[in-house]
Amino acid sequence: MQEQLREAAEQARTAIAACQTNNDILNAKARYLGKKSLVNSLYGKLKDIPPEDKPAFGQAINELRAGIEKLLAERELELKDRLQEEQDAAQAQDLSLPGNFRPRGSLHPLTIIRRRIEDIFMGLGFEIAEGPDIDDEFHNFDALNTPPDHPSRNLADTFYLENGCLLRTQTSTVQVRVMEKYPPPIHIISPGRCYRNDKPDPSHSPVFHQLEALVVDKGVSMADLKDTLQNFAQIMFGEDVRSRIRPHFFPFTEPSAEMDISCVSCQGKGCRVCKNSGWLELGGAGMVDPAVFKMLGIDPEIYSGYALGFGVERIAMLKYNIPDMRILFENDVRMLRQFSGEVL
Amino acid sequence: MIISCRWLSRYIELPADLNLLVQTLTFSGIEVEAVKPLPELPAGVVAAKVLSAEPIPGTDHLQVCSVEFGAGEPAQVVCGAPNCKAGMISVLALPGTELPGLTIKTATLRGVESRGMLCSERELGLSDNHAGIIELDASTPAGSSVNEIYELPDTILELEITPNRPDLLGYTGIARDLSASLGKPLRLPPVEHLPGEPSEETALTLVLEDPLKCPRYTARLLDGVNVKESPQWLKTALVKSGLRPINNIVDVTNFVMLELGHPLHAFDYGKLQPLDPSDGHPAVVARQARPEEEFVALDGKNLRLNPGDLVIADGRDASALAGVMGGKDTAISAATTSIVLEAACFQPGSIRATSYKHKLSTDSSYRFERHLSPHYVDLVSDRAVQLFLETAGGKVCNELYDAWPEPLKPRYLAVRPCRFRQLIGYELAGEEIIRYLEALGCEFIQYGAWIDGLIEDTSLIHCHHLEEEKAGKTEFSEIDCVHSLFFRIPPQRVDITREADLLEELARLAGYERIPRKKEAPRIMDRHAFRIRRGIEDWFADASFHETLNYSFCDPAQLADLALEPAETEAKLFRLVNPQSSNQSAMRITLLPQLLDNLRYNLNHGERNLKLMELGKVYLKEGDSQAEYLSFAAVLTGKMDPEHWSAAGKAIDFYQVKGLVEGLLRLLGVQETNTAALERPWLSAGDNLGFYAEDRVIASCGRLKTRVAQNFGIDLTLLKQDIWVIELDVDLLIDLTRGREKIFRELPRHPAVTRDLSFLIKTGVAYAEIAAAIKAVNPDLIRDVSIFDQYLGQQVPEGFRSMSLRIVVQDSEKTLTDERVDQVLASVREMLFRAWQINMR
Repeated sequence: MQEQLREAAEQARTAIAACQTNNDILNAKARYLGKKSLVNSLYGKLKDIPPEDKPAFGQAINELRAGIEKLLAERELELKDRLQEEQDAAQAQDLSLPGNFRPRGSLHPLTIIRRRIEDIFMGLGFEIAEGPDIDDEFHNFDALNTPPDHPSRNLADTFYLENGCLLRTQTSTVQVRVMEKYPPPIHIISPGRCYRNDKPDPSHSPVFHQLEALVVDKGVSMADLKDTLQNFAQIMFGEDVRSRIRPHFFPFTEPSAEMDISCVSCQGKGCRVCKNSGWLELGGAGMVDPAVFKMLGIDPEIYSGYALGFGVERIAMLKYNIPDMRILFENDVRMLRQFSGEVL
Repeated sequence: MIISCRWLSRYIELPADLNLLVQTLTFSGIEVEAVKPLPELPAGVVAAKVLSAEPIPGTDHLQVCSVEFGAGEPAQVVCGAPNCKAGMISVLALPGTELPGLTIKTATLRGVESRGMLCSERELGLSDNHAGIIELDASTPAGSSVNEIYELPDTILELEITPNRPDLLGYTGIARDLSASLGKPLRLPPVEHLPGEPSEETALTLVLEDPLKCPRYTARLLDGVNVKESPQWLKTALVKSGLRPINNIVDVTNFVMLELGHPLHAFDYGKLQPLDPSDGHPAVVARQARPEEEFVALDGKNLRLNPGDLVIADGRDASALAGVMGGKDTAISAATTSIVLEAACFQPGSIRATSYKHKLSTDSSYRFERHLSPHYVDLVSDRAVQLFLETAGGKVCNELYDAWPEPLKPRYLAVRPCRFRQLIGYELAGEEIIRYLEALGCEFIQYGAWIDGLIEDTSLIHCHHLEEEKAGKTEFSEIDCVHSLFFRIPPQRVDITREADLLEELARLAGYERIPRKKEAPRIMDRHAFRIRRGIEDWFADASFHETLNYSFCDPAQLADLALEPAETEAKLFRLVNPQSSNQSAMRITLLPQLLDNLRYNLNHGERNLKLMELGKVYLKEGDSQAEYLSFAAVLTGKMDPEHWSAAGKAIDFYQVKGLVEGLLRLLGVQETNTAALERPWLSAGDNLGFYAEDRVIASCGRLKTRVAQNFGIDLTLLKQDIWVIELDVDLLIDLTRGREKIFRELPRHPAVTRDLSFLIKTGVAYAEIAAAIKAVNPDLIRDVSIFDQYLGQQVPEGFRSMSLRIVVQDSEKTLTDERVDQVLASVREMLFRAWQINMR
């Protein structure tokens, strides 16, 4: 009897595995589980079995039936999946057609560069401070130790308004305002618009953007200035970039310096961009002049500080290889669109 | 670790203010995890003697007891505790007594009157023990004050001892640390070494086979001890520290473990087998377990040991799993008369491995795992012996058996005040350093030149360092910097091996609150404004706008092109004294003209779908002073989305433009806005909308007048597309959102039900009005109203439109029934009919 059951199960398994269509499944179901099936006839034989064997026999038939049912269900699913796959494959599309999305617009390259500079300095522990574009002579010149007869105060250099105010020529005005308001320690950068009465040309613009850093604390030295410059230069332009400072003059710093970085175009070998010097001028810097501190009520015997500043346009032009500053203010979308692909 | 303040106060005078104690502990590095007051018990709780205890027929465990409690006639009390028996001294709570969460009343149980209750420790709030009623020391007179017996009131502290501080695993260790941080003297228990009586008869063979795993093993013999219950003070002490009294011998070992932090074990001397049956002395052997060695632990578990497990064996078998648990066969029993007291030290790694392998974690293994010093083992033994004699009598036989192959060498360590300043951030004077460290048990030796690391010999210390300094051999040029203080490190502080460890001790004892804030830098940056500004720029850039940057100047003539009144604009306009040209002769008061110029420029280059924006300053003259505002403007024309082969693009419409503003306001978290048509001379009358916060316009959008476009050189009729404008008051948006923080809202627990309503409504009634009115019908339940279809086709009569709304109903408290939802919807329909005569379709 056991042998017969095993044989029946084996037979059903082979037949079910051979089913190829839904119809085959139905036929197999009728043959192996239907009225005339072996399983059904075995149930009929149950009454002839000696009572003590009945439970075991009954269980064996039940198992046989359950096994066949399971095989049928599994095969049915397999066939369904296969059918679905065949249908899907038949509906193949031209997957090379372009996808559909709304492209991102863009931030202006000057905004992108400004944000990158801000993020670098914020990472170095600086805060951002801003001030007005329209300012007075005190904040733009007097407080920055500029002599009254200094040529930069001329109409040919500085824009003046009807009410006697001027458009700041540098964001150093913000340094003054911050030091007026807050006691040291101060670690700030001040990004913003500046104005100088220059005709637009490849390297000048009457409206431009500057970014200055100011640190005032106990024990700040020129070594800190060099550190900040070098850190900034490397994060902005790459680990291979070198920086240096050269003696220079600014009324509000003493000692004063100009900052250079190794040419980002030729890596210092000398090229057209750096006029074969291997170096690019980045901006001005120096130790805050004690006269500035005194004017703002900070004791230069206790505190010292450095300031450094540069033009955002210059950084953007170097970074993106933009040859003419005027391009930045034309707002031609063919230029702007190129910056859709810039991740901040 | 659980400690009783009353017990702790034996070793140090504690501050009267509990908060101060908790603060001092926590801020010296011993975190107080819980404070549990044990208040005085009410007068109705007294020691009581059970005179008789008779089972109550028909019950399986109740007994009726006659209880003498020191006043008047004995009380009849029914008790169900399994350990209740005649003769015992327990604690009775008389009727009327208030216990924590329970008031005692005269009650009748199974027809028997009970006048009071015999109490378990849990019922009195003393511990978690509820296995039976309290068994006080049999010598306690009935009627004695339970408050005196249990030293109440008291406070129980649960302390977190960090794994680096094994020295804090006992009361005296904590007291020592407190003495350092509080500056109070430490009162250690007086311990005296008792020489034993020489005895040939009661003697021991001690073999230490594995000095790596057991650096020191000592044994002491006591003969003629009387094993019985512990005196009450001992029971009280253990109960309050969370241990259960067993018998005087075991209780003393536990007491000393809690007091001094070092676990002990006592064997029944009589059960120990000799190594060599012929010489007869029982043996104690510290050895590795044999392969598959069988061992029955004290708790009855059968363990199969292996080499790697250290056992304390007698001449034949393992009698203890060293430092983890004793064995059943050699345990102290009532019949024990002679004991072997083990005081030893085991290697932490070995204990940890064994404890882990056999899943046995005990008070003993917990301490040995954390590295105890072998140095005090004899002292610990002496303390236990002293208490054995006091509580169990007997006599000490022979001297201490002490196997200690490699006694500890003294350890000296230098600490530099200059290093403290460098690392911790302030000056700590030499005298203070000495005071703190000596209170911890360190001994100040002398000043000297800095030496890194532990030294064992004080002769290495150089008092004068100037020679090295002159020769340039020292790292620091200042005299201070090689100037250091040498201390002998106490043996129990196995964790102190480097200068950094001493610096840590000093920093925590002096208090972290003494560390100054180095730089109180002013907060200068307006981070909120910064985020909002970037948020606006990014929102529009993500919506495919290109950001432009234009000069800060304007051409006054272009303001007239915007159809602004010249008289009005002139008052706001700042003119330059020295402009470069007339079209840059004033400061800009709006961003729009330049954006329209940019638009024309790009249209002229053949671009058709354009979205441009600028976020920048405008400059306004306000009387005699000037004001600079952050403004935002955007212009857009053509199609919202780029051409795609799958669908024809659609020209930008009003709702897309409005959606850009709505989306931004949602991003910034601006909620309370109203919208209304807005008069702007450059916007066409129909398609314009202002977003108001209170009465101020924060945003606006609309369609540019054809005429204005013409003024800027853009011919819309030729172009066949509209120009749309968005303007924002950035400063106002910054102000409105300042201080607003995103708060997570609990997710709804109950499902929402969605119902749709379609109806005809007269044109002229605004959707927003209807939606608000529907919400107002039941603001608690109507979560959301939205429109999903609007139809103005053939089937809709003249002067009407068809509207389909989706209403989401949800209750935060419970799942809504259909019935309730229907009720809500019925009210909505009723309201719609009442207000606008709306009938459902």
